[in-house]
Amino acid sequence: MAHPAQMGFQDAATPVMEELLHFHDHALMIVYLISTMVFYIIVAMVTTELTNKYILDSQEIEIMWTALPAIILVLIAMPSIRVLYLMDEINDPHLTIKAMGHQWYWSYEYTDYENLTFDSYMTPTQDLTPGQFRLLETDHRMVVPTDAPIRVLVSAEDVLHSWAVPSLGVKMDAVPGRLNQTAFIASRAGVFYGQCSEICGANHSFMPIVVEAVPLEHFEIWTAMMMEDV
Amino acid sequence: MTEEGGKGQGMKLLGILDVQNTPCARESLLYGAGGSLAAGLLHFLATSRVRRSYDVGAAGFILTTLGSWLYCRYNRAKLRIQQRVIQEGMKNKVIYEGTKLDPTQKKTED
Repeated sequence: MAHPAQMGFQDAATPVMEELLHFHDHALMIVYLISTMVFYIIVAMVTTELTNKYILDSQEIEIMWTALPAIILVLIAMPSIRVLYLMDEINDPHLTIKAMGHQWYWSYEYTDYENLTFDSYMTPTQDLTPGQFRLLETDHRMVVPTDAPIRVLVSAEDVLHSWAVPSLGVKMDAVPGRLNQTAFIASRAGVFYGQCSEICGANHSFMPIVVEAVPLEHFEIWTAMMMEDV
Repeated sequence: MTEEGGKGQGMKLLGILDVQNTPCARESLLYGAGGSLAAGLLHFLATSRVRRSYDVGAAGFILTTLGSWLYCRYNRAKLRIQQRVIQEGMKNKVIYEGTKLDPTQKKTED
């Protein structure tokens, strides 16, 4: 999860999010250099004693300030398109989970092998135990196996919601009557937090998402336990 | 930019660029500073024009930083992809060893 006053991204838990972080670093460095250049030009223009009232045009500088931005845009666009297509790759998922948005909780359906369905409500602040995170914890987590392509089908039962987990690099709108697909591979075990990302009413801020990635054997134990409870 | 591997808080240039924990950032900025100094100094020695030498120095910083950054990031990206391919291959070798899907077995035509 994010720590207080955090400005950057959270640590990546999927290969796609790693690539997004690398692209962000790349774009930010270019933006930083452009800002440095603009700042230098402003200082130079403010501090010069020279004036030229009769200049009408200059082919050289106009070529420069047309060609250079075009080159910079190409340098940004190439990795951007690469990441964009990487995010859309179809990777033969091992597991499909349906995430349904409700007012104001998420429900998850694991129906590949058995019919496992459960709701995921936010843990109220007064019920938190020491070490738990306020407004982020839920009573039931969406558990997934690590190193396995997971497909998440996102939809909603009432109004618009959005299923988002920053660490996984995933955000998908939950639209009533529509099935949206997203996929990820959790490359490390851990607990990853997200929040509803589409305004959906009074408790929009109080329907978090918790994804727990565990090794496959632990995932099988968890599904067996959940089937007994359900 | 995110911190990598639980390292301590890096120095953030202008509060945004985490120089220590972003791969290639520190090297690029150092090369840029060196390139800026070299370009500005050489220009001044050749022309004795102070203001223009500052301009050349600034341009040198930007071009050297950008060039070093692109070179370093491109090589890191290639290495990262190679690492993933190797990891995937090792995983497939372990999983499929002894079966017809073993990637190390030469495919024979039927």
